Amino acid sequence: MKTKLLFTISFLFITALSFAQNTISGKVLDQKGKPVAGANIYLDGTYDGATSSETGEFSFETTETGNKFLVVSILLFETFKTEIDVANYKDQTIKLRENINALDAVVITAGTLESGEKARVSVLKPLDIVTTAGSAGNIVAALQTLPGTQTVGEDGRLFVRGGEASETQTFVDGIRVAQPYGATTNNLPTRSRFSPFLFSGIAFSTGGYSAEYGEALSSVLLLNTQDEADHEKTDIGLMTVGLSLGNTQKWSKSSLSVNMMYVNLAPYQAVIPQNVDWNSPYQSLGGETVYRYNFTNGIFKLYASFDGEKFDLNQKNINFENPVRTDMNNNNFYLNSSYKGSFGTGWQITSGISYGYSKNKLKYNITGIENQENAAQLKLKLSKKVSSHFKISFGTDYFITKYNEDITDNISIDVANGYDSDIFAAYTEGDVSFSKNLALKIGLRYSNNSLLNENNIAPRASLGYKVSKSSQFSFAYGDFSQTPVVDYIKYSKYHQFESEKASHYILNYQFTKPGQTFRAEAYYKDYSNLVQYNTRDIQYNSVFNNKGSGYAKGLDLFWRDSNLYENLEYWISYSYIDSERQYKNFPNMATPGFIANHNLSVVTKYFITDWKSQVGFTNSFSTGRPYNDPNQTQFMNGKTKSYNSLSFNWAYLLTTQKILYFSVSNILGTQNIFGYDYARTPDASGVYQRQAIVPTADRFFFLGFFWTISDNKNENQLKNL
Amino acid sequence: MKKIITTIVFFTVVLCSAQTQFEKGMEKAFGLWKEGKNAEASAMFERIAAAEKNSYLPNYYVALINTTSVFMEKDKTKIDLLLTKAQDALDIELIKDQANAELYVLQALIYTGYVVADPMTNGMKYSAKVMEAYAKAKAIDPNNPRAVFGEADYQLGGAKWTGVDTKPLCVQVDTAIELFATFKPETPFSPKWGLDRALEAQKNCKK
Repeated sequence: MKTKLLFTISFLFITALSFAQNTISGKVLDQKGKPVAGANIYLDGTYDGATSSETGEFSFETTETGNKFLVVSILLFETFKTEIDVANYKDQTIKLRENINALDAVVITAGTLESGEKARVSVLKPLDIVTTAGSAGNIVAALQTLPGTQTVGEDGRLFVRGGEASETQTFVDGIRVAQPYGATTNNLPTRSRFSPFLFSGIAFSTGGYSAEYGEALSSVLLLNTQDEADHEKTDIGLMTVGLSLGNTQKWSKSSLSVNMMYVNLAPYQAVIPQNVDWNSPYQSLGGETVYRYNFTNGIFKLYASFDGEKFDLNQKNINFENPVRTDMNNNNFYLNSSYKGSFGTGWQITSGISYGYSKNKLKYNITGIENQENAAQLKLKLSKKVSSHFKISFGTDYFITKYNEDITDNISIDVANGYDSDIFAAYTEGDVSFSKNLALKIGLRYSNNSLLNENNIAPRASLGYKVSKSSQFSFAYGDFSQTPVVDYIKYSKYHQFESEKASHYILNYQFTKPGQTFRAEAYYKDYSNLVQYNTRDIQYNSVFNNKGSGYAKGLDLFWRDSNLYENLEYWISYSYIDSERQYKNFPNMATPGFIANHNLSVVTKYFITDWKSQVGFTNSFSTGRPYNDPNQTQFMNGKTKSYNSLSFNWAYLLTTQKILYFSVSNILGTQNIFGYDYARTPDASGVYQRQAIVPTADRFFFLGFFWTISDNKNENQLKNL
Repeated sequence: MKKIITTIVFFTVVLCSAQTQFEKGMEKAFGLWKEGKNAEASAMFERIAAAEKNSYLPNYYVALINTTSVFMEKDKTKIDLLLTKAQDALDIELIKDQANAELYVLQALIYTGYVVADPMTNGMKYSAKVMEAYAKAKAIDPNNPRAVFGEADYQLGGAKWTGVDTKPLCVQVDTAIELFATFKPETPFSPKWGLDRALEAQKNCKK
């Protein structure tokens, strides 16, 4: 009896199963009607389904009955879900919408060179900053191998597309750094204050940037600190120029990194001949720390750095028989705290505050100059993702700067100058994605400057269009304004200055394949409202006006490839620029002294497995730069010979955690000349004598030993170098 | 009485068929995977995952198939897609359960995929994460053979660049092989892979 019943039930069950077979079939297409292969089509909550073929077709059988949800899912497309009647779903066509946020959507690239893991197309990789020969861990030196920049060896700062170094602003986690460079004086190059390894992403914009950033005429450099520490470790570095020590602690939700560095060039300069007569070589003590705390929906970061620098040297000066003694002392402190998080549906908040303090004590023979700058910024930004096609963001900035300067010779001169400036700015920006291939960003920035007593409105717009899988065009336009540099506005009590202005027009083409990137960018920049004065030097009683103007136009090319040979990476940057200005005390339109018409950089890196070594070469070449020869009637008529420098570096892994690093700049010992200083008065025979501006030393050698102590035996300091 | 028996039998049949549905599905997916139809196998596991929210296994295999495909994939543009898909599937299970050593082993494998795809860019960053994930897996289950082996294998793979001492790592491989011998998977579908690769590594160690 029992068996009979069981038999009946199972029989019924099986027949039920075989009776209720329904076939579901159709075709999966994209918006353009092209077949989508590999899509997963199934009835929600069941195992019944299929994968679409190369022709987008699918077909499967199911025992389900009635109304069910049919799901079609595949990466790069939005998941499709619809209720169907299982018995009646045959030969249907399903059109999938592209997922705009997918990995291969268009990204507006005009003007922007990005590095880091979040960047879709990395022009520089995180390690490049430290493994590029000639960069010596200086972020700015590595960026100078990219197109659009000028090598200005006697200055060391970033000069972008015909702009002065002051036209580039640096931001850490979206907040401005008032004093991004170390202390310097006449013709001694400076370097970036930031050690590269605390930053996980770098975006370097050579123009046409977002309305979020203001007070920069030419360029912005955006540095983002790491969101999380790798793990607990201690780093020790012994170098020919000093010592470094670092430690990272990690807890479940937070982490703390501290780094200290002491640099003293005395032993090095005792061994290697110098072109400069040092009384007391460069010394600095610096440290930085990052604390991060992760909330469920956000992250808080605190970044602080301080450094003290001093040096004392005798500089030859064409106007004086004896060298001028220059004694420099600088103290700098920077604090930046930020919170970034999400709330509600699709809202994001970024807020932060920064404070920078810099004090310089400078002595030229008996004349003492002391200046202090206090700069702060408050920032609030909100953004809302309205749909996958539209995002809006808006925010405000408040900048406070206080600067004062005292000049005294302890006899007759005692002058004090300075300024207080408050800038309020508000901006809004919309990101529209029309499709995966077409995106538009449009924004507006308003600012009010109390010192200059003026209001500014600056529109920005950019457009990206993807023409094929691997190539795209971008266009960017923007108006930019910036308060004149401190050299002028410290005389604000004698003259009412206005902001300097620039407009950028940029057309970009980008081609990318795995391991290969090609970029070409043409630009035109229009400068107006530049400050002019009528004296040889900038003084309180100069007659100033804001009637200066200028332009810069050019072409930047970039090619990066890692496919040529195994373990070889290289990139080539070429920039052509044509720029003239009438500003400062220029009598007519002329090309400024920091501009070379052609710049070419070739960077190579090669990993030699058998030697456990990475070796690299960097060659930088630029054509001659103009200088003014007062012996000639035409202004800025001179031209220096061209510049060339070949640098080499070698990192050798002794063991995983111990690295020996060696680098040398300008191996060939090329005698480079950056320009000439002419005497202020002619000599007895009526000729103005001159003196060449040359590097402080022909070559720079560096040898260091770096040791990492941590539980992770694979970790080392290669990235710190 | 008859009624009770009938009911019991009826339920047993229903339950059995439900059980076999999961088993059948899983077996079919494994079959596709063995035939080298990775995309179909992954899709099948995805469908099972969508229907069976209580088992971590379907999503585990979605992640595993897509990650292991990376090691054979030549087209670099696809690698990012495969790893993204793997990570998405794994994330679903990691949110539900943070005490499963197998999930962390798989996490380490996904990070390894990034390293293999572009060592110059990802090496530094993801190496730390790979080691961290294996450390977590071992903290949860010190005797998980895949965690013990994976950790040693990853370091052996990088040894020619990093110059790390391979001797203790080879000892770790031997330990893992012993652990594979005693390892009992919880269910017939639970992860049990890795022994063949461990034997391979052992052979290389003896060279």
